[in-house]
Amino acid sequence: MATTATGGAVIPIDSRTRGRARSTLLALAGRRARLTAGNPRQIAVPLLGPILLALVVAPALEKATGGLHSTVDYQSFVGVGAVGLVIPLSCIFAGLSVIVDRRAGAQRELLAAPVSRSQLVFGNLLVAVCLSALQAIVLVALTALRGGRFHVSGAGLAWALAAGLLFTVFMYGVAETLASRISKPEEYVGATPAVAILPFFFAGALYPISAMPGALTDIAKALPLTHALALLRYGLVDPHGQSLHAIWGAGNTTVEAWASLGVVALFALALTAISIRMFKRSAVG
Amino acid sequence: MRTATIEVRDLRKVYAGEVEAVKGIDFDVAAGEVFGLLGPNGAGKSTTIGMLTTTILPTGGSARLAGLDVVADPRGARAIASVVFQEPVVDGGLSGLDNLSLHARLWGIGPEQQRTRIAELVPAFGLQELIERPVDTYSGGQRRRLEIARALVSRPQVLFLDEPTVGLDARIRHELLDLIAGLRERFEMTILLSTHYLEEARQLCDRVAIMYEGSIVGLDAPARLLAELGEEILELRVQGDARATLARLRAQGIAAADAFAIGATVTVPLHGRPAGQALGALEEAAISPVGMATRAPTLDDVYLQLTGGPAAEAA
Repeated sequence: MATTATGGAVIPIDSRTRGRARSTLLALAGRRARLTAGNPRQIAVPLLGPILLALVVAPALEKATGGLHSTVDYQSFVGVGAVGLVIPLSCIFAGLSVIVDRRAGAQRELLAAPVSRSQLVFGNLLVAVCLSALQAIVLVALTALRGGRFHVSGAGLAWALAAGLLFTVFMYGVAETLASRISKPEEYVGATPAVAILPFFFAGALYPISAMPGALTDIAKALPLTHALALLRYGLVDPHGQSLHAIWGAGNTTVEAWASLGVVALFALALTAISIRMFKRSAVG
Repeated sequence: MRTATIEVRDLRKVYAGEVEAVKGIDFDVAAGEVFGLLGPNGAGKSTTIGMLTTTILPTGGSARLAGLDVVADPRGARAIASVVFQEPVVDGGLSGLDNLSLHARLWGIGPEQQRTRIAELVPAFGLQELIERPVDTYSGGQRRRLEIARALVSRPQVLFLDEPTVGLDARIRHELLDLIAGLRERFEMTILLSTHYLEEARQLCDRVAIMYEGSIVGLDAPARLLAELGEEILELRVQGDARATLARLRAQGIAAADAFAIGATVTVPLHGRPAGQALGALEEAAISPVGMATRAPTLDDVYLQLTGGPAAEAA
């Protein structure tokens, strides 16, 4: 390994480079976090709809329809399902910040800095992940306070965290890609229903995907949100993995969970790569 | 001879739709030199700075900052440079101090040096009272001062100033010009400045390159560019077609190739010919301007002769 001497101390170049990369990433994330904190609406607004679903609509639907007729509590089923709305909305808001940076000019200073362009994307992603996690925790906590029943174990929590993290990475990739492709905020906001809200209705957020017509069920199985929600439920409310069975139809829940996690991871990786490529392409004239 | 810190060779940029913004330009900027890029809007100045700061990818040619190729080693080139952009690019939601610190961290400046440099720059740029406030509350001039201070936190070898005074009122412009003029004395750096304010270039720059439609049409020290027009020029206001008058003046031997017509004004460098003799020649040629004056040439004349003249004649 190459080394360099500074002031008598020998520092491996690899560690120095890693340290510099980490410091840069934290600087970029710190910037985004401070800007986000200065705009409380960006934190609160994505939560409003999902909270309404979890705290008002779910109990009302349970009362009207009798719930899921299974061991899974419908309020917690919808409470976790609403995470599938809060994460996309939160990421779309985060993507809007990229357009604001570009239009307000701040992006030019970042592009002129001696940092890799992918770090600019990762800095924003880091904040989007933290903010989405915070919003999802608030949502689940409110659902529990409203009477939703959860079954949480260490392993279950790990599945839920991994699914939530990878799905957020995927959604941020979608948002960043859109932000690179669309120049006007109003056009970007116009795309929100298609990318953030529509999949929510097909992914089994409010009802099991098996309740939909066959063709729609097949479409649902191709959506990363369906897999993420199944894993979140497996980890938090449904240790028997009924949502996972509805997707894979296999008997082994652990295998199904790994398979669903693989699907979400694949989407997350692909969209991250695409978003970085699109950002580089759009940022440099 | 000083070594070149900025080397530009046959640099080109063609945008989509075959729009040729920069058409193969060449220039060197020596270490410690203040170099001006002058030209009208659309001349290619900002595209040139964009390529040198790696925010625009060149279509051809090469550019190096302190030997670092901007295409092969863009991060290396960015590490030794800072830019003050034409438009304000500070984060309005953050305080001035946050903006300075962010720049320092992105340029890899350690915390100790960061504190020292910021403590030095804040009073030097008159930002003491503002530095903790969100930048959204700053006036245009205060923002500009902050942006220049921010660019200096990393002690760049090369500083790019892209139209730094555009849009500012006269008083703030003069304050900023004094600040920029002081930079070379306080910090050892090479400065590339783009502007369309000629007085600004004359005041600040050791040499200027005049750009017109993507090419460099003149490059020298302002005094030498001025000297090319001689010590005196004759300015004629004419009624009717100024270009036709210019053609007659040339045909009569009163005007040389460097005379030019813009609007209703014909500008004729006299190149040592006495003004009285030129006026006599006008009478003999039966050219009757509605007004005329002689005066010393300015950089405006050089600029108009190199940029406006050809455009007007081609029109």
